Amino acid sequence: MGKIESSCIIDDDPIAIYGIKRSMKEIDFCNTIVVYKNGQDAIDGLNNMVAEGIALPSIILLDLNMPIMDGWEFLDDFIKIPNNNTKKVTIYIISSSIDPRDVIKVQDYSLVSNYILKPIKSADLLKLLSDGSNY
Amino acid sequence: MNTLTRTITIEEAPIAIATLDTNLCFINCSTPWQQEFISPDKEIYGKSFFDVVPSSPPVFRKILENSFSIDDNIIEEQKHIMPDGSIKWYQWCIKTWKDVDGTIGGLIITCTNITKIKRAKDLLIAAENVAKMGGWDLDMITNTIHWSRITKEIHEVPLDYKPCLKTGINFYKEGEHREKITELIQKAITNGEEWDTELQIVTAKGKELWVRAKGMPEFVNGKCVRLYGIFQDIDKEKKAEIKNTQIKERLDLATEVANIGIWEYNLHKDELEWNDEMFPLFGVKRKDFKGNFGSWKATVHPDDLERCLKEFDMAVSGIKDFKTEFRIVHPDGTIKHIKANAGIFKDDEGKIIKMVGTNWDITEVVNTQLKLNKSEESFKGSFKSSAVGMALVAKDGSWLDVNDTLCLSLGYSRKELLQLSFQDITHPQDLEKDLSQLQMLLDGKVNSYQLEKRYFHKKGTIVYVVLTVTAVKDIEGNISHFISQVVDITAKIEAQKKSEEFLELTKSQNNSLLNFAHIVSHNLRSHSSNLSMLSNYLIEEQGESEKREIEAMIVNASESLNETVAHLNEVVQISTEAEGQLQAVCLNEIVKNVEKNISALLQQKKVECQISIDQSIKVKGIHAYLDSVLLNLFTNSVKYSSPNRIPKISIQATKSGNFIILNFRDNGLGINLERHGKKLFGMYKTFHQHEDSKGIGLFITKNQIEAMNGKIEVESAVDKGTLFKITLVAA
Repeated sequence: MGKIESSCIIDDDPIAIYGIKRSMKEIDFCNTIVVYKNGQDAIDGLNNMVAEGIALPSIILLDLNMPIMDGWEFLDDFIKIPNNNTKKVTIYIISSSIDPRDVIKVQDYSLVSNYILKPIKSADLLKLLSDGSNY
Repeated sequence: MNTLTRTITIEEAPIAIATLDTNLCFINCSTPWQQEFISPDKEIYGKSFFDVVPSSPPVFRKILENSFSIDDNIIEEQKHIMPDGSIKWYQWCIKTWKDVDGTIGGLIITCTNITKIKRAKDLLIAAENVAKMGGWDLDMITNTIHWSRITKEIHEVPLDYKPCLKTGINFYKEGEHREKITELIQKAITNGEEWDTELQIVTAKGKELWVRAKGMPEFVNGKCVRLYGIFQDIDKEKKAEIKNTQIKERLDLATEVANIGIWEYNLHKDELEWNDEMFPLFGVKRKDFKGNFGSWKATVHPDDLERCLKEFDMAVSGIKDFKTEFRIVHPDGTIKHIKANAGIFKDDEGKIIKMVGTNWDITEVVNTQLKLNKSEESFKGSFKSSAVGMALVAKDGSWLDVNDTLCLSLGYSRKELLQLSFQDITHPQDLEKDLSQLQMLLDGKVNSYQLEKRYFHKKGTIVYVVLTVTAVKDIEGNISHFISQVVDITAKIEAQKKSEEFLELTKSQNNSLLNFAHIVSHNLRSHSSNLSMLSNYLIEEQGESEKREIEAMIVNASESLNETVAHLNEVVQISTEAEGQLQAVCLNEIVKNVEKNISALLQQKKVECQISIDQSIKVKGIHAYLDSVLLNLFTNSVKYSSPNRIPKISIQATKSGNFIILNFRDNGLGINLERHGKKLFGMYKTFHQHEDSKGIGLFITKNQIEAMNGKIEVESAVDKGTLFKITLVAA
């Protein structure tokens, strides 16, 4: 699988977002990038897309530590979005935490495909594309 | 053959006889008559009969007067009362005599004194009545039976009843009784055998009666012509006898079943009699039994013999009853315990002639008693010296007995403790569960129970114990008292409490460490990863404007790193600096002071503050930390106040034991604790869309409070308000 249509970044750290965007551009990852600054913004935005009939981004990169609504809470709410398309969405956790408890906790969420340690490099994104071809 | 020519004169007759003329005056009389009625020297001729024979009843006078018209002999028995008052019976035989010409010349009278016979007959009749003994008589020739009055009464037939042989036999009860009498009569008639037997008859009125029937045959020329005998009502005696026999049989059976040996000893003859049970009891063979005092003596255990002989002598001399226990040795060597009771029999002179007594085997009882004594002794021994507290407790809970260990555990003397009940010294919170278990025991639902409970030491401190209560039942199976075992686990519990405290401390320290580790692993690392990423971009980037942008970001990232390091440093300092710096601080002053410092902010936001803290309340704390904590709480309340209502803050403090509880309440936005509760006090956690939210305030607050050995808890409802409850150590 090659380039995807749209992807979504949920992170409160502008430097991290800058880095991801830069890497995506480098490898021509996708056509459009949607950015949310915390979980609550993301849930609201995605709900809006569903309401307006816009296709959901096929890949979501999700940070864990965020104000208002963190990554875990976003996952809890995301599965409640009333749309069959959510199943076509692949979610990756992006975190700077090397705390093993976080890595273990991720395994409890079947929604999550993998855990990618920050900083995100272009190589990491390429791997996502090749993994995605299995879908 | 010569005929008697001489006529014998009346005077010469050997019986009392007299001739009277028609006027009933004596013509002459025989000597016996003269002797019976009149002195021999007196003349009797011409005297009236009634002058000579005294007290003739008028009836007799009439008979005499009438006798002239009767040809036959008249025989008459009459009772005469003598002048001295005594009674005499005479049998008179009267006949008229005639002259040669055939005219009646007078009366010839003989007289027989029948007083003695009459008396004997009366006696017989009286005896018959008293003994209920009747007579009967069977004439075999005419086949008629005569029954005396008593016999008829026994048969309950009327006096004019006329029995015959068949009806007589039919009165006997059908079956063995009737068969027996028939057989006896048969034997009497054919073999001449007499009989004397006891049989049952059924009277005319249907009553069953025991009678003694005695019969004798009379033979003439080898043929039985008559049977006669007596017939006696022995029902009462017989029934008593039957009852007696039954009682004896029962007694025999009882002694046999109960294995009671009965003996009788005749002191004068040195004769000892044993009943059947005695032989197996003493293990003696009947053929080896000599039947004297020695026979018994030989069986008694040598150690008990002297005492037994002494007791026997005391019984014989009447000092003390023979009631004792002794051991005997069987020929095979087994030892049995025997219980003995005896009574003495005296002769008319009060001398003891014999002793009768009972023996029975109490070996089992004695052995059981010995075992019981032994176990009781061992119980007493272990009770006294047990390292476990032990007590005997009455059903109402009072102590019946306590051992030294229990006294030591509870701090009371034995005397003091015995005046208390277990309820008195039980911790009130533990009383209910103990009593409910005890009730189960009393109801018989369980035989024992165990529970952990608390007593109060005499000094008032708490004694932790493991209590085991067992019910003790009496012989009827009712609970008589309880045995309580009290294992003092106070030292253990206190050690456990201490280790729990340590564990709690370690846990909280561990949590802090983990938290810290997380902060380091995440917060620091996010900055460092950003920095490394940006540095790489800076090297790769060709465009100048892009480079400058990256450089600006690097500055930002380093500042953030600096800030985080500063925060972490602050936290570390909170924990380390607090050591040894705690001092008594007046809580009211602190709160008032902070309120004053931010009064501008409070006024600007129109916050209503209500502070009620008693001036006397002092906490162990650090002035700066308390300032910081309160400042943070105040600013949080202002920052997250609801735009829809006037912000209100109320602060109260109460003392609870060794702690001061400070309640800080507002009516602000509130926090969804279900969602954020866990991370409320975490670092860099924010929950509100607020520009100033940094997620560091409550984290620092928590650390500061914990550094003062306190704790902070929160209660909140979204859009209602928040209550922070801070517990501090009272000074």
